[in-house]
Amino acid sequence: MKRLVILFLMLSPLWLWAQDDPTLTVSAKKQVMVGERFQVVFSANADGRNFTAPSFEGFTVVGGPFTSTSSSIQMVNGSVTRTTTNSYTFALQAYKEGTFRVGPASLNVKGTKITSEPFDIKVVPDDGSHAAPSGGGASSGQSQAQQNTNDPQVSGKDLFLRVVPSKKSAYVGEQVVLTYKLYTKVPVSSLSVVKAPSYAGFWTKDISDNTGGTLRQSSEYINGIEYTSAEIQKVVVAPQRAGKLTLDPMVIECIAQIRRENNRQRSMDPFEEFFNDPFFNRNITNVKKELTSNSFVLEVKSLPEANKPASFAGAVGNYNFKSDIDMTELKTNEAFTLTYTVSGTGNIELLQMPEPVFPPDFEVYDPKITTSTDVTANGLSGTKKAEYLVIPRRAGSFTVPAVEFSFFNPSNGAYQTLSSKPYEIQVEKGRDDEGGGIYASNQEDIKYLGNDIRHIMTGDPRLRPQRSAFFGSSAYYVALLALLLAFILLLILLKNREKMEKDTAATRNRKADKVARGRLKRAAQFLKEKDQDKFYVEMSQALWGYIADKLGIERSKLSMDTVSETMKEKSVPDELTQQFVDTLNSCEFARFAPGSAEEKMDDLYQRGIEVISKAEKVL
Amino acid sequence: MKKYTLLICLLIVSGLGLVRAQENGETWFEQANAAYNAGRYDTAVILYEKVVDLGMESVPLYYNMGNAYYKKQDYPMAIYYYEKALKIDPSNEELQTNLAIANRAIVDKIEPVPESFIEKGWHNMRTWLSGNQWAWCSIIAFALFLAALLLFLRARRIGLRKLGFFTGLLFLILFGLSVVFALQLRQAAMTEDQAIIMTPTVNVKSSPSNASVDLFVLHEGTKVSILESADGWNKIRIANGSVGYLPEASMLPF
Repeated sequence: MKRLVILFLMLSPLWLWAQDDPTLTVSAKKQVMVGERFQVVFSANADGRNFTAPSFEGFTVVGGPFTSTSSSIQMVNGSVTRTTTNSYTFALQAYKEGTFRVGPASLNVKGTKITSEPFDIKVVPDDGSHAAPSGGGASSGQSQAQQNTNDPQVSGKDLFLRVVPSKKSAYVGEQVVLTYKLYTKVPVSSLSVVKAPSYAGFWTKDISDNTGGTLRQSSEYINGIEYTSAEIQKVVVAPQRAGKLTLDPMVIECIAQIRRENNRQRSMDPFEEFFNDPFFNRNITNVKKELTSNSFVLEVKSLPEANKPASFAGAVGNYNFKSDIDMTELKTNEAFTLTYTVSGTGNIELLQMPEPVFPPDFEVYDPKITTSTDVTANGLSGTKKAEYLVIPRRAGSFTVPAVEFSFFNPSNGAYQTLSSKPYEIQVEKGRDDEGGGIYASNQEDIKYLGNDIRHIMTGDPRLRPQRSAFFGSSAYYVALLALLLAFILLLILLKNREKMEKDTAATRNRKADKVARGRLKRAAQFLKEKDQDKFYVEMSQALWGYIADKLGIERSKLSMDTVSETMKEKSVPDELTQQFVDTLNSCEFARFAPGSAEEKMDDLYQRGIEVISKAEKVL
Repeated sequence: MKKYTLLICLLIVSGLGLVRAQENGETWFEQANAAYNAGRYDTAVILYEKVVDLGMESVPLYYNMGNAYYKKQDYPMAIYYYEKALKIDPSNEELQTNLAIANRAIVDKIEPVPESFIEKGWHNMRTWLSGNQWAWCSIIAFALFLAALLLFLRARRIGLRKLGFFTGLLFLILFGLSVVFALQLRQAAMTEDQAIIMTPTVNVKSSPSNASVDLFVLHEGTKVSILESADGWNKIRIANGSVGYLPEASMLPF
């Protein structure tokens, strides 16, 4: 395109202009691949102004327009032909599939506007095998003479990318080192990662050793062919779930420098041959090549359920576990430090430190966790430390129980449990801990440490046959019946007793007269003997006894009032009552007022006989 | 002849068995408790199960079984035995506590239908005492009622008779109530009208057939009331009042 051939013709008086109508033509590939760079050239056979480019929809304009002009004058048989070609070159890149129409471009030639024909470009998917044309041609001044059409190809046997896993199968959480290696037989420059693998389902850490900015190179024989290999990336991955996990391939782009041998004979241009002379080092072609590593499937085994210790928290690897305490005898409100250290090979960054259980009277701060890792050939190793700062607030003897750390060792496929030492901590009362100080009072709420069901019942289980209830059993009915019987028995007994009581009253009533007469007889005797005291005693007893028996009044409740009341209740005529009470009164009076006349005694005696006989008739 | 000897032997053995069942049961119970205390819950369950197989029951037995199952993390069985024990003695506080804890470990959480004030009072009153205690209460109330009746009938003073009348009335009411409570609790203990779901997940159907519509899903450990049962299907109701059909095999009735 940039060829310039000029023929000079001397002394020609006649200039014959033979010029065609101005046209604008376009040349481009009809079919390109996604990501491919190509050129679109608009050529005009006349000088013009105001070139207007179409909008390249569906493409990215990488460069351009670059304009170039060539002109030639030919004289054949006296006729002179002058040819001028103006070309406008665009470098485009396709970024998506489909068919895209490139619109017309226009140019103003001597006042008339000429346009190019619109045309279609088909963009096909990238089959991955093509070597993208290197940044030669269209991209600016450092352009070289190579064209798409005659680019040399780099075969997949000469240059390829491979991922080398440290193992084909692993347990969940086990480390696998992936090394991405570039194998090549040709010199390669300017590597760049186009697409990094996504590592879905993995924990990853890049452990590439990029110190010094150079790749580690070595020679390797594959199928007897020597390759130069370079580690591009080294990654530690730890699968997070079981199953067959696929690792996406990695895609890199690099520029392979290839010696051009086959191009030589095709070149007809002497200039080109001259410039492509080995002295000018022009026979090296830079070929941009996209390399895709193989994807592979990692078989991930789940951790065995059998014998899984309770303290297992997902650690996989080979570890050591130890604990350390700085002091075990201290005073209240002093601090001590308890350190748990896990060290070994494995995914130390994801490792969960076991947590000790401190007595509730200890104030514990969140542990300070420090992790240090090293990269070894087998992956990561390192140390994880958890430092607990603990302040006992109460005096006493405490125990920090042993802490268990469990891990799965993939090398022997078994769980291992390591235990720290339990620590006895003696806390003495410090000076500050005497009332006051930090704590206003030593009282505190009960701390509930856990929630559990109540303990079982011990002692007599009080077993009984199933589905037996006391209610409705014969024993129940017997008990009710017994109560009822007892009630009836008691009722009868009470009734009988009442009857008997009544009976005694009747007897007393019946015998009252007889008893009274006996007493009166004795009183008469005392009257004859003139024995005043005995006479009154006998008279009084005769009267009181009679009325008590007759009326059924108990002796203890006997008095003038009860007598007159009871008589009234029994509807004894008032005068009789009066007479009886009078007689009783005079008897009592005479009894406690000695020295009375004999006539009085005689009179009382007669009155006594009278009231008793009168009362006998009424009652 | 041989048959008879065998029969007689069996009779003797069973007779001895009945006498010794109690003692054996108590020994096994103690061994089971020892196993439980030692943390060997599987052994404890087997031993407790042996006591149940003797045909024995009691609150401590079912309660301890519930605990052993709880510790084995078999929550549906734990709930089953707590509920069984609760049927015998609804007043037991430890039972109520552990049942509440076990119920927190299961999947289904059902808001019970709120009871009316009177229903609530009635149920609360009923759970004051166990069935047997209510039976005893009725006997004591009856005795006191008779004593009051005696006082009413036989006292001479009018005040005492009044006292006898009113206290008698009170004790008669108490007697009636405790008889009703005892009857209800006995009824509940004698019939298997409740069940615990034992299948991890089960769909409650709209009618007793597998082809019918799924109404809702229940999980193991949930308590249901059995309303009817026929042809291997139980009509059930859950605490929130929803009703449906479940296959008999999915639950353990008590």
